[in-house]
Amino acid sequence: MNIQLHIDADHVATLTFDRAGSTANVFDRPTLEELDGHLAALESHAGLRGVVFISAKDKIFIAGADLHAFVSSPDPDALAGIIDLGHRVFTRLSRLPVPTVAAIHGACLGGGCELALACDWRVATDGKATKIGLPETQLGILPAWGGSVRLPRLIGLPAALGLILTGKQLAAVPARKVGLVDDIAHPEYLADAARALLARGKRPPPSFRPLHLPLIRDLVAAKARRDVLAKTHGHYPAPLKALEVCTAALGQPVDMALALEKAAFLELIRTPECASLLNIFFQQDRAKKLSVPAGTARPVRKVAVVGAGVMGAGIAQWTSARGLPVVLRDVAPDALAKGLRTIETVYREAAKRRVFTPAEATAGMDRITPAHAPVPLGDVDLVVEAAVEKLDAKRAIFADLERRVRADTVLATNTSALSIDAIAQNLAHPGRVIGLHFFNPVHRMQLVEIVRGPRTDDDTVATTLAFAHRLGKLPVIVKDSPGFLVNRVLLPGLVEAVRLVAAGHSVAAIDQALLDFGLPMGPLRLADEVGLDVALHVANDLAARLPHLPGPDPLLAKMVADGHLGKKSGRGFYDHAAHQPINLGLPPPAPADYVDRIVLVQVNEAARCLAEQVAASADDLDFAMILGTGWAPFRGGPLRYADSVGLPEIVRHLEALAASDGAHFAPCDYLKTTSAFHSASSRGVASDARSTLSPP
Amino acid sequence: MNNTPVYIVDGLRTPFCKMGTDLAASDAVDLARTAAAALLARTGLDPALIDEIIFGCVGQPIDAVNLSRVIALRAGVPAHVPAMTVHRNCASGFESLTTAADRIAAGRGDIYLVGGTESMSHYPLLYNDGAVKKFTHLAKAKTPLQKLAAFARFRPRDFSPRISLHLGLTDPVCGLNMGQTAENLARDFLISRDAQDAFALRSHQRATAARDRLADEITPAYPRGTGAAVTLDNGVRENQTPDALAKLRPFFDRHGGTVTAGNASQVTDGGCALLVMSEAGLRRTGITPLGRLVGHAYAGCEPSRMGLGPVHAIARAEQSTGLKLADAELIELNEAFAVQVLACQAAARSADYAKKHFGRETPLGEIPDEILNVNGGAVALGHPVGATGARLVLTALKELPRRRARRALVTLCIGGGQGGALWLEAAS
Repeated sequence: MNIQLHIDADHVATLTFDRAGSTANVFDRPTLEELDGHLAALESHAGLRGVVFISAKDKIFIAGADLHAFVSSPDPDALAGIIDLGHRVFTRLSRLPVPTVAAIHGACLGGGCELALACDWRVATDGKATKIGLPETQLGILPAWGGSVRLPRLIGLPAALGLILTGKQLAAVPARKVGLVDDIAHPEYLADAARALLARGKRPPPSFRPLHLPLIRDLVAAKARRDVLAKTHGHYPAPLKALEVCTAALGQPVDMALALEKAAFLELIRTPECASLLNIFFQQDRAKKLSVPAGTARPVRKVAVVGAGVMGAGIAQWTSARGLPVVLRDVAPDALAKGLRTIETVYREAAKRRVFTPAEATAGMDRITPAHAPVPLGDVDLVVEAAVEKLDAKRAIFADLERRVRADTVLATNTSALSIDAIAQNLAHPGRVIGLHFFNPVHRMQLVEIVRGPRTDDDTVATTLAFAHRLGKLPVIVKDSPGFLVNRVLLPGLVEAVRLVAAGHSVAAIDQALLDFGLPMGPLRLADEVGLDVALHVANDLAARLPHLPGPDPLLAKMVADGHLGKKSGRGFYDHAAHQPINLGLPPPAPADYVDRIVLVQVNEAARCLAEQVAASADDLDFAMILGTGWAPFRGGPLRYADSVGLPEIVRHLEALAASDGAHFAPCDYLKTTSAFHSASSRGVASDARSTLSPP
Repeated sequence: MNNTPVYIVDGLRTPFCKMGTDLAASDAVDLARTAAAALLARTGLDPALIDEIIFGCVGQPIDAVNLSRVIALRAGVPAHVPAMTVHRNCASGFESLTTAADRIAAGRGDIYLVGGTESMSHYPLLYNDGAVKKFTHLAKAKTPLQKLAAFARFRPRDFSPRISLHLGLTDPVCGLNMGQTAENLARDFLISRDAQDAFALRSHQRATAARDRLADEITPAYPRGTGAAVTLDNGVRENQTPDALAKLRPFFDRHGGTVTAGNASQVTDGGCALLVMSEAGLRRTGITPLGRLVGHAYAGCEPSRMGLGPVHAIARAEQSTGLKLADAELIELNEAFAVQVLACQAAARSADYAKKHFGRETPLGEIPDEILNVNGGAVALGHPVGATGARLVLTALKELPRRRARRALVTLCIGGGQGGALWLEAAS
């Protein structure tokens, strides 16, 4: 029983979605069949005046289709069957002789949105939980229960493409602006507002006569196509397919249009891009619900952040934005002023994008108390240290913190390189020290690495994990080893790119090759963004602690010594004033396959991480690389990419490179002895989660 | 007055900065919030234990009329703690403290967060009455034609604003602004321009020498939108000279006046917060106090000679506490105007004044220069009117242990013709 039917004395039927044993409503086959049964009953109900669709859940109207149904039935016939079922039920709904209205509070996504589109009217609440959209293209598919057909007919092709091709989710006010909903109500008055809409009767289809004329339609489609390609570099087939279907479907009767939609879906669901994107989605879901077997999470009500640099300020901003009071500690008022300015900028921009009202942004900033002198920390439950990356300095800070905080306060460090255990060395309670490694910029990067030291205790891990969840971050638990996970896999590729430049290869060609491969940014541009001094420091540090890694080419040290630090100094591998890559003026070497060199050293390092259990699983590793570095999501991460190429093939390439270019390419033993990183079964889905559509 | 002890536990203030300078981006709420939040952080007090938040402000901002409530919530004080705002002109900072003291004496609570704040940079400009009428008319106009006609009635003079800072510093009863009341005192007591300038110079010299000591009571302010850390009082002229002071023209009385911008207090932004507790409050929190409020009095005097308010308040406090001027080992007497401080000294030592105004045979006593405003005063540090009272208390309590002294008298004059006087004692 997922849907309750109630018909009141006025002969108005209310179908309430309330999935048993869950906080979410989703569409799976049984729910669709149940809905079908109710609709059949309503068709024959004499005197019926209208139907209201509503949810009994707090934050969710209908969150979408149960994706597991798609992934667990790779059989095309079964997939076609579930698409047909959705089409039949929603078409049946749209053809009810009485007016229908979707009363939307909470997430109304994917199939939920498609149900709403099949109704005559839609009313949404102004609550924060309410968001309406069709995020399917972000998962490598397209809206296939009528969304690609009905949305353009309701709000016009340009607006519909703006939603479908980006997966954008709208709150009530913008949804009303584009015509996706007809009215806005407070949650308390939602049912009344829905009834008021019923009184308007069946809705005549709106006309987009000039807009949908073939010529104009084609212009709109061409523009949308250019926008998609600019964004995806052609790596993602789903938006292009959706564009094609939305446009073609306009000129056709609904039944034929739905057939187009179905064919496109069946094509997309078989693509490797879709498999990768769905897997990322499941991994996100898993990270959101990640728990540890032992340990009790203590509540975190107040936080202290030590260090007001870029990372400290970012962590303080994000923590305060999530409603927690933060003491921001640094030694000098000027350092605090700089950090507070960074924080203000993030808040101001968020307010500009309407993420916060101005009052909320002010309240967020007010929750941060700067402290340039030591203050009592007895009421602080968790400290995040983000001070200078020097072991002695961190040890001194932790020794001081330990004297100031309660015995059960978690002491976390945001170090990206230093050993957690070394930091905890001389403390009375080393068990409460843990790594909590955020990525820059903190307000944009969802990943955090939780680094468990050998002495870190269970309660500390559980508390930190719960804190990461409270912050809305996606945690991955990694081992206390040099570079942890993300930097360790990322850096060798960067070092390799520098080596290629030193050998005379073109900066632009290297970066372009990796962009074409699907990285969000070429490795040399990334080095400039990070700062060459930082890159040099991390690369040297890693090479010192991991003997198999070559140190960075002397070119990097020379550039740093010359003051070329990348973007912050205006010059690195690029001249940032002239927007030009630098040219070392070396004789051009023989052409080389940059992707092979740079990506395969990363794959090799990823394999080592897996062998050393730095990450618990190949899924964790791929997920962390995608979220932490934007590593080609459609390829599913370095290990999934390696699987797709075939490990023997990878080993062959690496061995050839080791012979021609240097011993550091030599494949590690784990790579040579493993047949695939992901087991065949896990390549579909490895998750117990009830996953619902929401974009990555 | 009963004998319930009232403790001032700790205090912090923002730097005091001249109007339109380093703190101009912060409003009165921001300033007080900065001080209050820093004070809560430094003491580690759980704000949920506070019984009430009481701040004073003279030019109360129209967008936060009960500004104490806004300060409280924005400083992280939980919603269940009530807040009220007090006003006694320049003694508003005093009033916040004495109101809390009265509450404690009445057994109504044990822990109060009090203070004063003023953003003189944010004093609004007002439309004059004529313009207000025309705006009202315009708002009532319905048709485009009516609106046009309403518009046409505006004249350039309608847009010349009334400056609320000037209005606020003018006594509506006697019609004099504060500077003019100071000129009255110069004539009454025949206090020369030179004497006033010498006093002003000394204030700057003392404040300069006290930089490090004053830093002890200051928490940095980080005005939003500036990216700057403000850590210093910026009104202190470290190189002030008699010549520079002598060059200034009289500000309030161009013909024969003596009061200049140099020998008057500065128009300043700043906020100050104090934590006040009963004995039970001290026990509950385990915090060591700075000192104790022994007694206080407010007294009225002639509005046109409001600068003598301290003398009247001191006399009245003597009646209730038995403490005489001679008992003070440290005196903070607010420097609204150099001449006004000098006049208070003269009136206090005058038997005539004592007889005429207080009906007593003996003068109040000496206000010795050596213990008066030893770290400079408002001539150098500035006078953010609502904050000053709290600042004087804080400065005095921090100074007492430095000189191993026990008792301080803190007093100020109040526009409209009043004075306030507090007797403080160092924590033993």
